[in-house]
Amino acid sequence: MKVTITVNGTPYTRDVEPRTLLAYFLREHCGLTGTHVGCDTSSCGCCVAVLDGQTAVKTCTMFAVQADGHEILTVEGLAAGGALHPIQQAFSDQHGLHCGYCTPGMMLTTVALLKHTPAPTEAQIREGLAGNLCRCTGYNNIVKAVQQAADVLRQPAAATK
Amino acid sequence: MAEARQVPEVAAPAVAQGNAAYAWPTHPTYMGTDVQRIDGPDKVTGRAKYSYDIQRPNMLYGRIVRSPHPRARVVAIDLTMARQAPGVKAALAVVEPNAILMFQGEEVAAVAAATEEQARDAARLVKVQYEVLPPLTSVEQAMSPDAPKVFPDGNVREGAAEETGDLAAGFKAAAHVVEQTYNTQVQTHVSLETHGCVCEWDGDKLTAWVSTQAVHGTREGFAQALKIPQANVRVITQYMGGGFGSKFAPDAQGIICANLAKQAGAPVHLMLDRKEEHLATGNRPSAYAKIRAGVSADGMLTAFDAQTWGTGGAGVGAGFPLPYIYQFPNRRRQHKDVYINAGGARAMRAPGHPQGCFITEVLMDELADLVKLDPVDFRMKNLPPDAPDARWRAYFPIAAKLFGWDKRHPTGDATPGPIKHGFGCSANRWGGGGRGSHAHCEILPDGGVIMRCGTQDIGTGTRTLVSIVTAETLGLPIDAVNTEIGDSLYPFSGGSGGSTTAASVTPAIRVTAVKALDALKAKVAPKLGVPPADLVASDGRLHARNDRAKGMTWKEACRTLGAEPIAVDGEWQPGLSASGTSGVQMAEVEVDTETGVSKVTRLVCVQDCGLIVDKLTAESQVIGGVLFGVNYALFEDRILDRNTGQMVNPNMEWYLIGGPSDVPEITAHLVDQPERGVIGLGEPPAVATAAAIANAIANATGVRLRSLPMTPDKVLAALEQQRAGGTR
Repeated sequence: MKVTITVNGTPYTRDVEPRTLLAYFLREHCGLTGTHVGCDTSSCGCCVAVLDGQTAVKTCTMFAVQADGHEILTVEGLAAGGALHPIQQAFSDQHGLHCGYCTPGMMLTTVALLKHTPAPTEAQIREGLAGNLCRCTGYNNIVKAVQQAADVLRQPAAATK
Repeated sequence: MAEARQVPEVAAPAVAQGNAAYAWPTHPTYMGTDVQRIDGPDKVTGRAKYSYDIQRPNMLYGRIVRSPHPRARVVAIDLTMARQAPGVKAALAVVEPNAILMFQGEEVAAVAAATEEQARDAARLVKVQYEVLPPLTSVEQAMSPDAPKVFPDGNVREGAAEETGDLAAGFKAAAHVVEQTYNTQVQTHVSLETHGCVCEWDGDKLTAWVSTQAVHGTREGFAQALKIPQANVRVITQYMGGGFGSKFAPDAQGIICANLAKQAGAPVHLMLDRKEEHLATGNRPSAYAKIRAGVSADGMLTAFDAQTWGTGGAGVGAGFPLPYIYQFPNRRRQHKDVYINAGGARAMRAPGHPQGCFITEVLMDELADLVKLDPVDFRMKNLPPDAPDARWRAYFPIAAKLFGWDKRHPTGDATPGPIKHGFGCSANRWGGGGRGSHAHCEILPDGGVIMRCGTQDIGTGTRTLVSIVTAETLGLPIDAVNTEIGDSLYPFSGGSGGSTTAASVTPAIRVTAVKALDALKAKVAPKLGVPPADLVASDGRLHARNDRAKGMTWKEACRTLGAEPIAVDGEWQPGLSASGTSGVQMAEVEVDTETGVSKVTRLVCVQDCGLIVDKLTAESQVIGGVLFGVNYALFEDRILDRNTGQMVNPNMEWYLIGGPSDVPEITAHLVDQPERGVIGLGEPPAVATAAAIANAIANATGVRLRSLPMTPDKVLAALEQQRAGGTR
């Protein structure tokens, strides 16, 4: 089946099998390997991308054809013009990662979380990231990173993403 | 029978003996401070390539056909249909007919095809005929006298009894005796990046991008299994998504991947899925202990008599230290390894210690209650003598103060309402320490610095530590150092296990950087008219020790090299690292006695690790380790169907690990011990948590849980038993 999915602003038209999962479309058809798969069953959140700038989706349990005609944001599309996105900067600054395998999914969930909850409480951050699992960090620095990103993004001059 | 593979414990002294030539700086710029991770930017942009992310031209995808049965004989394997399936370029049988398969998930055959989906399709077309044999599915079944003899040397391997002192006299001196059985579950590693690799042949040379904790060990493993020279193998691990002790070798899937790539004449990507990960890549063995222990009226431990057992699966041992830390003058222990038809154990974050700690520390609280002593006071009376690697006497009071232990109520929260609060404590120890690690340093005429070491960063921050020590030694900014690790072409370094990486790698980097700097000083000294021994490097300058102006910038100094860079090799030397850590944890829980749900609200961890190299990564390691322990205490459990022996939760939906809301408020109090040198911290913080939580739950509810994980059903059952007037 022919699909056209706009990933990070670039349209990708590819012929895929109906069963092709969005995660593998991104990784193998677009070569964007920052989207990881950790569990295959939408439990861990390593594969999260943002659909149409609004919704965090688990790409390991979504078919590529379901994203046909839609826009997808992955970790590779976060930085604009060489500068890190405030969320990326915050995860790096606050040491919100160890092995880093879960980090892309954490950050993309954060994009959607802060879109809908620009000034989250700590409890809202923890609840908002409940679908993303990390085996290394113990999450506390991830929560700090989301707090920093929220603070920066609320500044009037912040990036428009 | 195979033992759980792990890095052997290091026999190193507890105190660094001093090494004047390479001594750690007494007034460091970076060491011991909060230094940002140098790989942060690569990891937040997706530029960091994990083995899973490697894509090579014409790369194929491999899949393994695994036994669906915990025990079976292979009658026949037919690859014909699979070979004819679309996209298939290689297919092979891993075992011969008549092979006996001993666990669900054991490797039987494999295929490689152009796409992941085609490989999965083809794997389903491999026809395997099995004669299903009755499995051993639990330790109870395997130990029963009428169990079938499944393992050639018996289902149970009984170790020699360990006995010290006079047990009868010990029990005679006891005013109180506890007789109970304790147990811990099987836990799997759940690294978010699964095991696997990409293998590519160039003639008879193999390059393998492997998710491994040991690039050199994995090179050796490939060479041995494939019967090729080690020189023909290159193993690369630039980034990896965790290992926790389960990734030290190519494993079956690595060898299969290399063989598929050879057969297909193309690179093969073979990463396991989550189910395979749970079934076949290792676990922490279960532990059981039937204990009789005595305490005197004045609160001194008198006797300890234990029968212990546990299973590491099919043919792997299940040892653990017991009793843990505390001194029972008269003791006996008889241990049995029990084999069942399940995936074999591997080293897992402080192998054996969380088991031994949980069992001993819960017992300690039971004994303290009998003599009506505060758990901390009781422990203080029974600790071994103070030593550099045994500092609990100092740490219990520190933790108590930080935690507010004096507000602890006696066992059983007497306040009304269903939510009960409680405090618990426990202690831990671990080895750590360093050994032979090598490095190579180049100082380039344009001022560039390259430090190469064949270690690997499993996620803890090793790459950053290498940069910190190099920059510290050369007086340069951290980002002036090009750290290159994760490649078996670089100088040898051991596996990242046993909390030995920091103590192995950082001394090697220190020695190598000092040697490189000495070589540069020798070049520059005549030009400055200062003896080399009087030159120091700081703030990007090489200058006379007592006259900063008398010197030149780092770049100017390097320019004097002309066309020939400095290139020196160095290796680990004694005197910069030591072995042995101790720590104490205290936990507060709230237990809902109507639902049985326990929540850890607060945890204090007092932990030493020798000289702290990067405070930021060290503290973060503690927080992560504590959550590892919370998971072990409350959530994680590999559950086998008692009839079929099949794992019923081989996923991350029903095999639970904690999420962001399950983390307590954590106070990480690191004790810096610069005089001991570097030791290591990966494992220690994960040891004591479950025991502290167990004791806190008992303090809250008045009922004692002696079995991990402490799930709501067990809490409710214990409360029900108490209401029914049962034993406590």
